[in-house]
Amino acid sequence: MAPAVTATAVAADAPDTYEEKHVHQIYDSIASHFSSTRYKPWPIIAAFLANLRDGWVGLDSGTGNGKYLPLPADRPGRVWTIGLDRSRNLLDIARTAGGTGAFREVVWGDVLGHSWREGIFDYAISIATIHHLATHERRKLAVKRLLSAVSPAHGRVLVYVWAVRQDELSKRSIPGGSSGTGQDVFVPWVMSEDKTQVFNRYYHMFDDGELAGLVTLAAEELGLAVGRPSTCSLKGVEIVQDGWERSNHYVELRRWQTEL
Amino acid sequence: MVRLITHNLLACHVKGCTSNNFPLEFKDVQVVLRESEFNPDFLRGFIPKIEWTALVGAARELGDTSLPDQPPEMLDDDFLKTLHHVLLEIHVEEGIMICPNCKHNYAISNGIPNMLLAEHEIG
Repeated sequence: MAPAVTATAVAADAPDTYEEKHVHQIYDSIASHFSSTRYKPWPIIAAFLANLRDGWVGLDSGTGNGKYLPLPADRPGRVWTIGLDRSRNLLDIARTAGGTGAFREVVWGDVLGHSWREGIFDYAISIATIHHLATHERRKLAVKRLLSAVSPAHGRVLVYVWAVRQDELSKRSIPGGSSGTGQDVFVPWVMSEDKTQVFNRYYHMFDDGELAGLVTLAAEELGLAVGRPSTCSLKGVEIVQDGWERSNHYVELRRWQTEL
Repeated sequence: MVRLITHNLLACHVKGCTSNNFPLEFKDVQVVLRESEFNPDFLRGFIPKIEWTALVGAARELGDTSLPDQPPEMLDDDFLKTLHHVLLEIHVEEGIMICPNCKHNYAISNGIPNMLLAEHEIG
């Protein structure tokens, strides 16, 4: 039985130092053990990457141990995903992700940064990352960074976050239940070699509809229409998928612009 | 990792630094060459996104002068192999990247660039 998930309250005056203590320092401490438990790509994410075109470059914002960097597996090197993470120790692992001897491109950075030529990526993914940001404003900014990083004409984005609604097989029970605005919690990480070593990671667990709402707000603040391509607006973003699977919410987005 | 494929995408993101913030200039670099698999289909798709002048300049900063000043119209295998080498086989392991505008220094250590900024520095 996994240790209980507990409710927490974010110190709202300093969310960055809160994340530093309750997210960044923890991943640097557990990097090696964490990585050994994260090797299977999720099917929807693998399918998203399998549909990218030869020659495309993308950003994996919050790449962790880099398990998505070698994909798509049947076309190695035809698509380049650059991994970004806040944990230097995880990046040292991500650097050779895939175990083929091939090197990956990884960058030490924050998902709220934007150290790229605007709109230069063809796609961006952010898997199990944005839920570690401690305020609604910061989570919205992270989505804006993804939308701005990809091509305004064809950029694709996939975001996964943890859900309050857990599936039947989940070992977790979430305190508080559904509120509409998610739950701020600590999720314990127990080291396998010394079970007295427990690290409480901060998560914002998303309620049903919350992720699509966050994306809509982020898009609107960037002046993007939300919906299918239309001639009523010059530029926009379509929510191609908005789903839930195995205790996670996800959205797939496509940017579009209207030719004049 | 900083290979020139990544360098050609990176820009300075310090608050207020929004023009002339690309390309970052290399300084005090240590370079390792590693062979990697040649993928002409990747290169053909990626070429339209390359800032060519920046790529040529960065390659020359790293001691590689094999690229022409302008991309050729014919993308033959000889050219694509040269481009493959420049983009994907030159690894900058240590060094600094400096913003041409605000002079912010981004350090590279063990092949990984540090693009983190302090909270108040992010624009």
